[in-house]
Amino acid sequence: MRAAPLERVAGRAQVTTRNGATLTPRSVVELQGITKRFAGHTAVDNLSLVVPKGVIYGLLGPNGAGKTTTIRIILSILLADSGRVHLFGETGNGRDQTARIGYLPEERGLYRKMRVLDVLVFLARMKGVERPTARLRAEQWLERFGLAPWRMRRIDELSKGMQQKVQFISTLLHEPELVVLDEPFAGLDPVNAQALKDTVLELRQRGATVLFSTHIMEQAEKLCDQLCIIARGRKLVDGSLSDIKRPASGQHLAISFDGSAGNAAALFCDPRMVKRVDDYGQFAELELVPGADPQDLLRALVQSGARLSRFQLVEPSLHKIFVDLVGNGGSDNV
Amino acid sequence: MSKVGAVIRREFVERVRSRWFWISAILLPVLFAMIFLLPMMFMGSGGARRIAVVDGTTTDLGTRVTAALAAGGTFAATRVARHSGVIDSLTRQTATKAIDGLLIVDDSLVVTGSAEYRGTNVSSLRDMQELERTLGVLVIATRLEQAGVDSRVLARAELPLRLTTRKISAAQTTGESSTESFSLAYLMGTILYTTILMYGVNVKSSVLEEKTTRIVEVLVSSVRPFTLLFGKVIGVGAVSLLQLLIWAVAGKLLLSERATLAAQLGADQGPALFEIPHVSAATGAVFAAYFLGGFFLYSAMFAAAGAMSSSEQEAQQAQQPIVLVLLVSFVSLFVLIGDPSSTFAIVLSLVPFTSPIAMPVRWAAGDLPLTDLAVSLGLLVIGVVGTTWIAARIYRVGILMTGKRPNIKELVRWVRAS
Repeated sequence: MRAAPLERVAGRAQVTTRNGATLTPRSVVELQGITKRFAGHTAVDNLSLVVPKGVIYGLLGPNGAGKTTTIRIILSILLADSGRVHLFGETGNGRDQTARIGYLPEERGLYRKMRVLDVLVFLARMKGVERPTARLRAEQWLERFGLAPWRMRRIDELSKGMQQKVQFISTLLHEPELVVLDEPFAGLDPVNAQALKDTVLELRQRGATVLFSTHIMEQAEKLCDQLCIIARGRKLVDGSLSDIKRPASGQHLAISFDGSAGNAAALFCDPRMVKRVDDYGQFAELELVPGADPQDLLRALVQSGARLSRFQLVEPSLHKIFVDLVGNGGSDNV
Repeated sequence: MSKVGAVIRREFVERVRSRWFWISAILLPVLFAMIFLLPMMFMGSGGARRIAVVDGTTTDLGTRVTAALAAGGTFAATRVARHSGVIDSLTRQTATKAIDGLLIVDDSLVVTGSAEYRGTNVSSLRDMQELERTLGVLVIATRLEQAGVDSRVLARAELPLRLTTRKISAAQTTGESSTESFSLAYLMGTILYTTILMYGVNVKSSVLEEKTTRIVEVLVSSVRPFTLLFGKVIGVGAVSLLQLLIWAVAGKLLLSERATLAAQLGADQGPALFEIPHVSAATGAVFAAYFLGGFFLYSAMFAAAGAMSSSEQEAQQAQQPIVLVLLVSFVSLFVLIGDPSSTFAIVLSLVPFTSPIAMPVRWAAGDLPLTDLAVSLGLLVIGVVGTTWIAARIYRVGILMTGKRPNIKELVRWVRAS
């Protein structure tokens, strides 16, 4: 389905457009120096990023980092004060390209008094799908999600979970090439979260590009091909997961205890051995001082009476990188 | 373009499908029917009022009163000679509804003009007027007779007076009476006020629903905010026109078929309380033009009120100034009808915020210089364009804002934002 060789070439090459801006070809979203100010504060500050075609792209950041504002600018819901947005390597803003974009806002909601089928047809019409096609596809999707018996019911007669499904269908009904999900996992139960994850992977399989924002690092780490971490409206780092993990050199250890942790807490504080630690009691992630031997730490732990179930040299987790990068002052939500 | 169509269609279909649309579509004609059918049924029930004339006179005055009342048609009068206990027994009969009332007359009727009526229908203005009129004529006749005036002169003097009123429009006598002018002006004013308010509030609710459910985010990523607002106003406007059409057809049917209706309900045709207003094509056009202008003007403002609020309570507060402005022209209705060419009326009919109600009322109530109409319409168009421009800018920013309602300073900034 995807032209792999072309992508490899395209990933490096740059082209120059008429107005002098350089674009990365085959990029689905390209932001160049986007800045957005609201009364009193700067929500997005000179942000540039590239979302290549066919990837799952994570926009990560603490609450108030400017994720939603960035997404709104991509979708032309808000206008940037300065900077450029390029979509699909073509001219035309998010609203012009709306037929190719599916959007699930952070706060969910649908017309409460409308019938399920009518809502889906209306929202598809907004994306430029003709009425008969919209109707047909809506029926198919409802069938697939087991909502067919509710198609003539009003939205407010549906359970919350069902409403979320209907809204998700409305995001995908017009078969968008780019799917933008703002905090998609927020408020989902584990079963629905699993279903959403499967759908996201399926979308990529189909060749679509998925851009989603989250502040839950575990999800991003498992799901994203590429990501960008922002805080206070500024980009801290972006690239593929391995790109981001590489600069965090040094040895990282994941340690799990099976009951007793001995005097691990004291050992973790030894500055000759441990540079940074993230201790959860039964689990700890730590970065060793350069030159320190992990075997010394293992011996010391066993001697102190700790029962270990895991002692592993690992790549640092995204969570750790995120916390290190953002620090304590990065979140507006205190 | 098809997206505007989809927005219009949604607003229209969802509203016409709702219960409330049909309740108000049916309720108003029913209310209207009750206003003119009920009095007829009331008057018709049991035919003439059965009253007893308690005759305490020493002349034939009692007999003449009875005869005169019976001749009027409103009353079926029976003379009862006055003796002790008769008033009490008749009062009891009135209480048990065997008769409707009793009229007590004696010689003082001619001397001081006083008589007494006791009955269940004393609150009926028509009955009491008829009673007073009959007695008055008789008293005058009797006094004149006693003064020696010829009975033939008397007969001619008793001819009742009938004042016929005709409205003069453009130096031509029309077929329209003053009652008709009044009811037409009043009806138009009331319908304009009700409909503009009702559907303006509808636009506000629609804006607020999309804002509170955050659907608006998905919508404005697909269509321009102005397109969305435009489609919304047109859609709701179409619903209001359908509503007016239903009322107009129902009203016309009720008026033309009222004789049949009254007969079926067992009521007399009776004298009309309401005269059927004569609605000319020009009147219809004036009504339609001002309705549309007023609707666009006010729904733009209501949309802005909805967009700057985050909850129904906030929106109620935000819409209050708008409702007040609309109310100004509505409460001025009687002043406008009473003196359609006063300075006050002229000012109200020129200012775009009051002209949608004031101008049609002035038009219906009296003759109107065409220049006034042209100037007023021109100002209304300017008002609609200006208000929509400002409202659309508030709307565009407001629909994405959450948190507290903006103050005037912030609103100005919203409007100025590019």
